[in-house]
This record gives sequence, C-alpha cells and structure tokens, in this order.
Amino acid sequence: MEDVQVVAMLVRRCIAGDAAAWEEIVQTYHRRIYNICYRFAGSADDAQDLSQEVFIKMYRTLSSYDHTKGAFVTWVTTITRNLLVDHFRKTKQDRMTDSMDTPASEREDAQPLSEQIPDHSPTPDARARSREVGEVVHVALGKLSPELREAVILRDLQDMDYREIATVLKVPEGTVKSRINRGRAELARLLQRTYRQVM
Amino acid sequence: MPDHTSNGMQCNEFDLLLSDAMDGVLSGSGLERFQTHAQACKVCGPLLAEAEAGRNWLKGLTEVEPPASLVTNILASTTGVDTQRLRVTARSPQPRVSWWEHMQAVLSESLFEPIWAMVRQPRFAMSFGMAFFALSVGLTVAGVKPTDLRQISLRPSAIRHTYYATQARVVHYYENVRIVYEVESRVREIKRNVAPAEPGPRESRPAKPKDDKNDTTQQPEQKQERNYSQTDNQLILASAPVVPSPSLPLCDLPVVSVTTDRRFV
Repeated sequence: MEDVQVVAMLVRRCIAGDAAAWEEIVQTYHRRIYNICYRFAGSADDAQDLSQEVFIKMYRTLSSYDHTKGAFVTWVTTITRNLLVDHFRKTKQDRMTDSMDTPASEREDAQPLSEQIPDHSPTPDARARSREVGEVVHVALGKLSPELREAVILRDLQDMDYREIATVLKVPEGTVKSRINRGRAELARLLQRTYRQVM
Repeated sequence: MPDHTSNGMQCNEFDLLLSDAMDGVLSGSGLERFQTHAQACKVCGPLLAEAEAGRNWLKGLTEVEPPASLVTNILASTTGVDTQRLRVTARSPQPRVSWWEHMQAVLSESLFEPIWAMVRQPRFAMSFGMAFFALSVGLTVAGVKPTDLRQISLRPSAIRHTYYATQARVVHYYENVRIVYEVESRVREIKRNVAPAEPGPRESRPAKPKDDKNDTTQQPEQKQERNYSQTDNQLILASAPVVPSPSLPLCDLPVVSVTTDRRFV
C-alpha cells in the first residue's frame, strides 16, 4: 500500500516542476495502468496508446489531486477507467462483428480461440495454469460487458477492495459486489460453452 | 435474479453475501444459511459454482510485461525529454543563470529554434544551397574576391572617394566606346565612297506562269528584290524616244543628262 504522505510529497514536487519526481511516478504506476488497459482493451497496441493517454491526462491534471479525498492509486485508476470508457465508446462499432473465434490482435499468426484449446489436458484447472489458456481467458474476458469486465479486472486482477472500486466506478458497494459475481459467473459460462463446442 | 425464499434466505440476500462468502469473510449462522440456500436453490447453487470457477480462471491470469519503450514514450509525450536526459538533469546541480542569459535562452528557444528547424528542412536547404551557388558563381564572374571585400573601408571619406572613382571609370569607359563607334562609322563611310557605282537595274525577267507563284524554291519576285536599306545615289539617265522626225535629223538630237537623288522607300 502506498504511503499517503510520500506520494503527496512526490505529487507536490512534480507540480513544482521536478522532472525526476514525475519520472518516479511514471516508473511506479506504468505497469499497473498498462495491465488494466491491456485486460480491458484486449490489445497490446491499444494498451500502450491508452497508457500514454492516461499519463498525459495525469500530467495535466496532477494539481487537481487532493490526498485528503482518497489514495493516489484510486485517483490514477479512476482516470484510467474514465479513459477506457471513452475508448470503449469510440470503438464500439469496431467490435460489432467480433466473435469468440477472432484471433488475438497482438499476434498476427494467432489461431482462433476454438483451436487454441488443447485436447489432452485433463481438467480446466490444469489448463488455466498454462500460458495458452491464459490467452483464452483473456479473449473471453474481452467478451464480457464493460461494466462487468471493469469490476472483475479491478477486483481479481488489481486486488482493489470494494470501497475503492466503488469510488472508481462511482457506484455503491453492493452494485460492485453484484457486478463482480455476475462477471465471474458470465466468464465461467463463456469458457464452459467454448470447451463444450470443442469437445 | 428471481426473488424467492429458500431456507430462510432470499436470492437477493444470497447475491449480496456471495462475495463475502467467496472472500471467506462470512462465518457463523450467516455462512450456514448461505450454504443451505446454495444447496437448495436451483438458481443460486449454480451461480456460486460459476462464480468460483470464474474467479479461478481470472486468478490464472498473470501480469503482463509492458513494452520497454513505454516509460520513454510517456516521458517524451509529457515532459518532452527522454529518460536519460532527465536523470542527468536531476543529478547535476543547476548553475546560476543571469537574467540576460535567461533572456537569450528564451529568445533562442522561442525565436531562433523554429526558424532553424524550418531552414533544416530538405526543401529549404536545397533552395538555400542553390541560391548560394548562384551567388558564388555571379561573384566569380564579376571578378569579386572575398579578399577584396576585406580591404573595403567604410569611412565616409573613403566611400565618397570610391563613388567618384567609380563614376570617373564609367565616364571614361563610355568615352572610349563612343570613340570606337565614331571611328567605325568613319571607316564604313570611306569604304562606301571608295566602292564602284552599282550597275543599273537588271532586265526584268519574262513573266512566269501563275503556277510558279507559290513555288518558293525559285527566285523571289521582282518586288521582293527591292533593297529597302539602300540609300546610295543612283544615276538615272533620261532619254528621248528614238522616233524619226521629219524636222530633225537623227544624229542632231540633243542629249540631256539628268542626275537625281533617288531614294527607294
């Protein structure tokens, strides 16, 4: 967990024009932001562009951060989520024709989802540990509705607590919990359906 | 989610407690009621199983490594400088800068840098190169040497002296040219006077058929043989018709010679 005072000092130095402080912020948070963007957008290229946009917005609005209102990581995640929602709205038309068999965009030679699932693995748990199955889950995650997707990403991939997620998503905690449960269940149903088609 | 009661717990309540149960926060009677409802309800039981499966799938996802260039790109797009420069700047102490140096730096950044950046573009560089080449060729042809330019004095008296000297040189050159032309015209006149008189006009050719009018390979027509630049005096003899008269014998006829200045215009 971040030390609130240390981060607040870092932000103050950055606002005062200390380039090294800004670099420290970028070094600390770029991995987290890139992962959120990658899991939400589904593509490495989009994730890179979105991460850059997030930091540009952060750099411009850094003076608006108030450490008394919440943790810096929550503020950063809120900016990221807002940009992801904008990105989702912009690219809505592009995803209309997507299907589960769409190859992963970052790998040109990627096989369709149904062909990526190996036949010889005995149980789903064993498959989940392999890298290939990780790709399958990543693709399935992209098929969730954006509300459910962002909730499970923040909870299960970023380990944020319900209160922080509620702050970022601007919804009550009960809604957050409900979305997380439905998101997990929907993901499992998608993957089970895919396995049934293959087997 | 259907809202029906099973074993003293509604499905809505089950949905709210599902996260806590999966996180291991639920205990005691609450957990007991939750488990009983999950076993009895045909909707909530599968929901619990699916949510657990989904969470297990997500836990299998590992963190992805961002591209190596991401931090550099972010820093370049925000602060406009690369990481290496940032580190060097952060470590080195900032020297004291006077207001004049600061002003110079601001001017060079805001005024000269854009101009220099534009000049460095290939199209402009090519134009400047051609202009320089043309200038150097022109100066070479005119005989101007850079060493001569170094000796030029910019004092008012020196400038005045240079002006009068140049003026005298131009007048002298003009006078020389005038004398040369005058001598040339005199020589031309003498030649013209010494040359013999031109023979009389040739006999007119017999009339050609009209078909030859368009034949440009032959000699031009008589009219076109007129020399419009001829200004010489031409001798024209007047003579009386040779017709026998009963009153005067043929040998006694007076001969009159008349000279006229004829100018073909």
